[in-house]
Amino acid sequence: MSAGGTIHRGFGLSDLGLRQTFYTFLSMSKKTVVEFSRYPVSFVATFAQTLMILAMFMLAAIVFMGSEAGLSELAGIMVYGFILNMFLIFVLWEIGFSIREEQYRGTLESLYLSPANKFSNLISRVFAIGSWTVVMVVVSLVIVNYYVGGLPANDVMLALFVLFFSITGILGIGFVVSALVLRLKESAELLVSVLQFFFMIFCAMFFPFYALPDEILNYVSRWIPLSYGVDSFRSILVGQTPELIANVGIEIVIVVLFGILSPLIGYFLYKYNERKARLEGSLAEY
Amino acid sequence: MAGPIAGLGYYERNPRTSFGVFSTVLKARLRIVSRYKGALLMELFMPIVFAALPILLGVSIASGGIDVGQNWKDTTGTADFKAYMLIGASTFMVVMLMTWLVGFWLRREMVSGTLESIWVTPAKKYLVIGGVTGYALIRAFVAFILSFVLGSFVFGINLFQGNMLMAAMFILVGLLPLWGISFMFGALILRIKEADSIINLLQWVLSFFMGVFFPVTVLPGFLRLIAQSFPPTWMTNGVRAALLDVSFFFETWYMDLAVILVFAAVFPLMGYGIFVATERRMKKTQGLGMY
Amino acid sequence: MAQAIIKVENLSKTFISKERRKFLRPKKRTIEALKDVDLTIYDGEIFGLLGPNGAGKTTLIKCLTTLLIPTGGAAWVNGFDLLKEENMVRASLGCMLMGERGLYWKLTGRENLDYFGALYHVPKEKRIERITYLKDLLNMGEFIDRTVETYSSGQKMIMAFAKSLINNAPILFLDEPTVTMDVHAARDLRRIVKQLNKEGHTIIYTTHQMHEAEELCERVAIIDKGEIIALGTPTELKRSLNVKDTIEVQGAIPKGVIQTIKEMPGVIEAAIKEEKRGTTTLGIMCENSRVILPRLMEVLLENEVQIEYIKPMEATLEDVFIVKTGRALSVDTAELAKEKGRDAGGRD
Repeated sequence: MSAGGTIHRGFGLSDLGLRQTFYTFLSMSKKTVVEFSRYPVSFVATFAQTLMILAMFMLAAIVFMGSEAGLSELAGIMVYGFILNMFLIFVLWEIGFSIREEQYRGTLESLYLSPANKFSNLISRVFAIGSWTVVMVVVSLVIVNYYVGGLPANDVMLALFVLFFSITGILGIGFVVSALVLRLKESAELLVSVLQFFFMIFCAMFFPFYALPDEILNYVSRWIPLSYGVDSFRSILVGQTPELIANVGIEIVIVVLFGILSPLIGYFLYKYNERKARLEGSLAEY
Repeated sequence: MAGPIAGLGYYERNPRTSFGVFSTVLKARLRIVSRYKGALLMELFMPIVFAALPILLGVSIASGGIDVGQNWKDTTGTADFKAYMLIGASTFMVVMLMTWLVGFWLRREMVSGTLESIWVTPAKKYLVIGGVTGYALIRAFVAFILSFVLGSFVFGINLFQGNMLMAAMFILVGLLPLWGISFMFGALILRIKEADSIINLLQWVLSFFMGVFFPVTVLPGFLRLIAQSFPPTWMTNGVRAALLDVSFFFETWYMDLAVILVFAAVFPLMGYGIFVATERRMKKTQGLGMY
Repeated sequence: MAQAIIKVENLSKTFISKERRKFLRPKKRTIEALKDVDLTIYDGEIFGLLGPNGAGKTTLIKCLTTLLIPTGGAAWVNGFDLLKEENMVRASLGCMLMGERGLYWKLTGRENLDYFGALYHVPKEKRIERITYLKDLLNMGEFIDRTVETYSSGQKMIMAFAKSLINNAPILFLDEPTVTMDVHAARDLRRIVKQLNKEGHTIIYTTHQMHEAEELCERVAIIDKGEIIALGTPTELKRSLNVKDTIEVQGAIPKGVIQTIKEMPGVIEAAIKEEKRGTTTLGIMCENSRVILPRLMEVLLENEVQIEYIKPMEATLEDVFIVKTGRALSVDTAELAKEKGRDAGGRD
């Protein structure tokens, strides 16, 4: 006799073993990539848009500087900040906001009916986002590099190390956002847009930190872990002393901690809100 | 009330009921948008955030010992780059709103199926669209004023410089060709599935060519020509010239205004023509319900 | 005696809704969507779940499919504890709960099925095989390789049905699967449901169409106000009414007259079955139609009712529903359409 006196009739075609769990995760990742590829216009559009924004800033910078002396260093600061910004925007929308879209379409409920791991639905998007952004980053680097005649690139390995943990940290932000989106519903879009600009300015993604007024720098920017990711990543590449903490080692420690803790916090917050949503029955409301 | 069924029922076509279509649509849109307070607030802050990015860039370059004001003046005619950016960002917001609101409205109505229910009424389409764009005009104008005033406080810009009346005139006249452009966006949305991305892209293309962050005069010859065939470029420059020491494209304000007036005559007609043609084609091929 | 495959004990679900008030703290309101429900569903049966809107039908299904966490009670599905072994429960179920929603628009039908198959941890080879099998079974044509955004409403429904079958689960939850299908497609679906049942699947089926329930279900439960108010085979339920006859009257019937009819001796219950363009169809349950008919005619004529027809009929499940809940299910369905506009809650 099985639990509660009900008999067990097997799981049909389901195989809940570890191997199939892994394959399920692969299928989820593949599906996101396929879905992305069904929006070719959007792909080209995001790409062109990215270059357009970059070009606008570069032109403004040239007019500001009066001559092209020192342009390459400035371009470095802008472009390297831009790379992190691009990851951030993709993660915010494609991981954070995507939950809302799934809720709206009813696919979130379908997901919750299945025995698949719900959190891996979020993680599985990383591949699609990753490959998409990497392509864009590489192309914009090549173009800007050509335009300004060589971008500074010191200690690339260390920079990649910092980039890795910055990205996992950004993923954590995405998880937190998706946890909030799960409950926020209508105002989710607003939240994501506001966050996008919030980080863009307060993490000084397009300009050096010293452009920010001291009050903002001390009371806002320094309290956002991502700021240290932006700062150390570009200082390492440009070959300058970081602006926030003069010792790059300390900044790297902060970034690594951010990169580890932020996804964990995101995970638990998501689990917590998911439970809440299932208690309130708001998983499928739209 | 039950009445005898005869003729066209309660349908009555006269200028009063026609205006009724226009004003009802306009009021309905304003009423609907007033329920989205968050989005409205966002609109107010967007241009400020948008202007903040290049302004901070300028500030950071200045702290490197470079005379940013002088450099900016050498190219544009004014050293007040903060005001320059804020005007650029605010006019860009106007362009975004005009194109996005009309386009987005069409999209929404298509997805929710209400577009078909509007189209089956005997109301003339230009009255319905006129109502929607009229609402966009009001919202865009108000957004410009508010964000410009608020931005001036944030960046410490002298609000009362230059000829404010002339600036207002450039905005109002400049909105008319935008009206036409919004029709073209509408047509595009009717035709293309991934309209959202296209609109997004086009907005950035527009912002690039209308010189939001830099004078279009720095662009090489052929790009500059493209830039100057966009009506918003003239609007932005006109406002800047009226308020700051930036020169008009044709040296005198009335020549620039005349160019915008020509745009204002051509673009709405062209836009509406394109819209109607697209719609007719849609009806022949697949119907409005498909998206 | 068949063995239980789903067992529900004292299951309850309470929602707390906050009513927003200006300047004041939000007023809390508790809604008991399920009140200590006990229910056993046996292995290999087709079980019908009927109930008016907002009766708790959807809440019960959502709880049993793990979408909602119940407030109290316990349940076991396919040998697993609903609360402690959620994933095992999920792996035991195939669900079609939200009509044509819940598909990815930008994926083709085949890609959708493959994806959801993966979510149910079905190995790749079996998925491919299963999709081919389902394509034949459900008569899906070339549309299986088009993206879902191009589908008609009926095609989406078929795809949603296919989705629920992808893992070949022992238990199927079908929540109004035929609601937007045309007559032919609905008939095909019922045929397949019967076939699946013969193959050994247990099926929990909800519908607003009584003839469907009568045709398909071996046992039926009627839920109202969060409680199961009737349970049994359709025949048992009809017999339990103590109703020998029912009379159907169609015509222009003023509301007040219905109350008068209800109060007539020998009448057990009377309710509107359908209302269309001023014509009302009234169902009257009584002990003996022959005894009552002359007096009924008098009442109708006294009240100047314009009668289109009167006919004595055999009791149906619909009549059971009317006696138990005081409303007709068909009227309920019409109301549902109206409510959809303002109601953000679940579908019932």
